[in-house]
Amino acid sequence: MTASTAPLEMLAGADRVRRYAPWVLLVVGVAVLQVSYHGEPFPRAWDTVISDPINAFQAWARSNRRTHPLFTSFFTPLSRSIDWALTSVEGFLQWLPWYVVPGATFLLIARTRRWWPAAVAALASVYPGIVGLWDETMQTLALMAIAVFICLVIGIPLGVAAAFSRRLESVMRPVLDAMQTVPAPIYFIPMILFLGIGRVPATIATVIYALPPIIRLTALGIRQVDRQAVEASTVFGSSRAQTLFKVQIPLAMPSIMTGINQTIMMALGIVVLATLLGAGGLGQEVMDALQQRSPGRGTAAGLAIVAVAMVLDRIGASFADTDRTHHVSWRATAIGAAAVVGALFLGSALGWSEFPPVSDVSILAPIDRAVIWARDNLSFITRPFNDFMVAEILVPARDLLTEVIAWPVLIFATAWVCWRMRGWKLAAVAAALLTVVGLIGMWELSIVTLTHVVAAVVLSVLIAVPVGIWAGRKPRVEAALAPILDALQTVPSFVYLIPVVMLFTLSAVPGIIASVLYAVVPGIRLTALGVRQVPAEALEASRAFGATDRQTLFGVRLPLAAPTIMAGVNQVIMMVLAMVIIAGLAGSQGLGFEAVRAVTRTNTGLGFEVAIAVVTMAIILDRLTQAAGERLQPPSA
Amino acid sequence: MSEVCIEVADCWKVFGGRDVDKAIAMAEAGAGRAEILERTGATVAVRNVSFTVNRGETFVVMGLSGSGKSTLVRCVSRLTDPTRGRILLDGEDLTAMDEATLRRVRRQKLSMVFQHFGLFPHRRVIDNVAYGLEVQGVPKAERRERAEEILAVVGLEGWGNHFPQQLSGGMQQRVGLARALAVDPEVLFFDEPFSALDPLIRREMQDELIGLQHRLQRTIVFITHDFAEAIKLGDRIAIMKDGSFDQIGTPAELIADPATDYVREFTKDVPKQKVVTAGTVATGPKSETANGRKVAATDTIEKILPALLDDPSPIDVVDDEGRVIGCVDREAVIQMLAT
Ligand SMILES: Nc1ncnc2c1ncn2[C@@H]1O[C@H](COP(=O)(O)OP(=O)(O)OP(=O)(O)O)[C@@H](O)[C@H]1O
Ligand SMILES: [Mg+2]
Repeated sequence: MTASTAPLEMLAGADRVRRYAPWVLLVVGVAVLQVSYHGEPFPRAWDTVISDPINAFQAWARSNRRTHPLFTSFFTPLSRSIDWALTSVEGFLQWLPWYVVPGATFLLIARTRRWWPAAVAALASVYPGIVGLWDETMQTLALMAIAVFICLVIGIPLGVAAAFSRRLESVMRPVLDAMQTVPAPIYFIPMILFLGIGRVPATIATVIYALPPIIRLTALGIRQVDRQAVEASTVFGSSRAQTLFKVQIPLAMPSIMTGINQTIMMALGIVVLATLLGAGGLGQEVMDALQQRSPGRGTAAGLAIVAVAMVLDRIGASFADTDRTHHVSWRATAIGAAAVVGALFLGSALGWSEFPPVSDVSILAPIDRAVIWARDNLSFITRPFNDFMVAEILVPARDLLTEVIAWPVLIFATAWVCWRMRGWKLAAVAAALLTVVGLIGMWELSIVTLTHVVAAVVLSVLIAVPVGIWAGRKPRVEAALAPILDALQTVPSFVYLIPVVMLFTLSAVPGIIASVLYAVVPGIRLTALGVRQVPAEALEASRAFGATDRQTLFGVRLPLAAPTIMAGVNQVIMMVLAMVIIAGLAGSQGLGFEAVRAVTRTNTGLGFEVAIAVVTMAIILDRLTQAAGERLQPPSA
Repeated sequence: MSEVCIEVADCWKVFGGRDVDKAIAMAEAGAGRAEILERTGATVAVRNVSFTVNRGETFVVMGLSGSGKSTLVRCVSRLTDPTRGRILLDGEDLTAMDEATLRRVRRQKLSMVFQHFGLFPHRRVIDNVAYGLEVQGVPKAERRERAEEILAVVGLEGWGNHFPQQLSGGMQQRVGLARALAVDPEVLFFDEPFSALDPLIRREMQDELIGLQHRLQRTIVFITHDFAEAIKLGDRIAIMKDGSFDQIGTPAELIADPATDYVREFTKDVPKQKVVTAGTVATGPKSETANGRKVAATDTIEKILPALLDDPSPIDVVDDEGRVIGCVDREAVIQMLAT
């Protein structure tokens, strides 16, 4: 008896050791580190190790811009040609009689027999003129047109190549993934280094930021073409080029068009930020309005950006609809085009290109009054909320993480979580990156930003998950929400800042609220999707056993939807991180504010340090939420 | 004597896996697909297949799902490269050709009809049909005219300006057939062209193909998983199982003399007297007792049965030049029908 149970007990003992060892390690590690490092600030050993050489390089670049071959034979000609293109397109758009824009918009969309969207988009395209922002809008459009054009010229061939070459695709995929983890404005920082401030670096940063979707969707589209169609083409003796241009690209067109649409929307999303680099246009207007706290101007400019987004999105969608069978006939389209072109020449002959002055219908003053009224009368909500968030949550959280808990404990605990969730590789990377962040002197700023990010993520999830569950269970609710969510998604992120900034005092709270508004949409979307996709049989089986709605929800629906919901949380986090720097514009302290300072004062060294901190945070949070999502996946066969 | 058009010699196709040689060695030693997959990670889709197709012949490859038929026909048309083996078309080795030569051969000689049609949804029916001519560089007016003619041949006059997805499944496959015929190919590959169609349409299409083949006399390699279809269309049939051929023969040979149990499984439900010919059951030399009666070697048993029932004495069987090749008697017929 004893002889047979002893090894069993030993086995159980070994098992217990294996089970509890990590926890013991955690507790002991935390205790030791906390006691030995309590109260010590992070040693800023590398305070200038990164920023000094970069600033030195920048100084060198500035003084050698006219002489060094790197500039004279590469950057300067590149810069010149982009500048020339920008000037030409802008000149052309401003030469165009204004009514050509709504005319062409209507024609492009109505071609697919979508009369109402066409009319609404045409009206929306005149809106910027009505509020006196026609020229700014044309400037913005010119920059976007050039940026998107460059994206297509680079992105479509790359996408095609990636579809054909497994090797290239395996090189490119991690790069594209990484590009999507890096918050947009980070791309500005190297631009300043090589090109300084101006429209050209703004254009190039926009290109880099907006490039991934067109590459991805081109490759996806080509790879998804029906294999038999490709084989049919081959068997008739088509050359590769013939198969590509006659079969694969035409059949991949809907996907490519979706990619173009996404690229356009991303370019528009960053265009206001690009004003930090001197892009001008509508972004400048928003920025000025934010700085002068002038709600009317801000709202007018924000709505102009929304109008541009809506028009471009609709036009893009009309191109993505490649099923020509229900389109308007060629002849009608040609007549319409001829009419617009005729009007164009008539108008330019008569000199009608200026938008008619309509300042008397200005909406600025009433908006100013309304916002001031709202600010004064809603302050009984906004002020306590603001104060509560700052005094009860953000400040105590920051103090806890910087003063109470010693910094090595945070690094150790993060690494421990990474190890348990994903393995030692991520743990090592996280510990190394966090140490670098501390050494370069970004520790406190990162902690501040982290508290904002966590607050925004928690608020977003608290809203998104219940709403998403509700929408996923009730098709009618989802149908009602769909257009609102669609609209919210086409609105560039910073536009959310405008109303929020106007209503709140300058603090971290407006940035958090704007982040929530921006990030809540994908959270709702993916939660609803997850809940809706639960197989009907599983639900019926649960009901057949007599489960209540509640039991079915918590016992079947949510566990099965959990991986998708987790993907939603991941997206929420990434979008909140993308807002971090934008929130800096609204007066949030922390990394965002520092990034804005770095860009406006062209302190590139500081910019790189901020970039390292933000990317560190993005990598750790992204990998951890992905790992969590994978753990929630039911085991597959 | 009919001349050889396609010759496939020792064709292998192995997917995946790191050690292809080992997979082939295992297959040669008689290992099954599952075992090879487990040991080497490779799928042996086609194993050591050899056959010839004569000019003007319809050669059917019949096998169940996953037996490697599509892979085989893709090897023969070199849509994929066979792992081992040679494919000769009119004496030219397709496996040794470079891209450009292969393209030229394809333009001149090959075309193919696909199970799921493989039509180009972004092109109108007429431009689908004209595609082969288009890649050859035939001028637009000429290729359209030709496409119109072919559409009429397959009974789709006036449908040229529709898009494929506006047509029913049967009509779409007619477009696929027209597209294949438009280039006037020497060799046609059919990969289960009628499997996606419902039974009535399928029969109609089969009859139409028989009619067309009667007029055009092309060399056809036809893939199917339906034994009845194989018998109906094939001059010769190969039964494929787990990547290799169990038996090659005329419908009558397969039914009268199945080489394996697997083949017998398919043949046992077929009414033999309708398929087996006098030639296949003929025995011995000329009969002494035959009282001058003669039947052709290609006559089915069903056709000669009344004569045998009338008179128990054997009947001489003659080939198409009138020479006596043997005789049939009641015993031979009963034995054949009983097995
Ligand atoms: N590209 C590929 N990569 C890996 N394995 C493949 C590939 N194509 C086919 N196979 C495998 O080869 C075997 C034969 O497939 P094939 O498509 O030739 O069968 P089939 O007889 O045409 O079947 P069906 O009637 O279903 O079309 C299958 O086991 C299949 O999984
Ligand atoms: Mg097949």
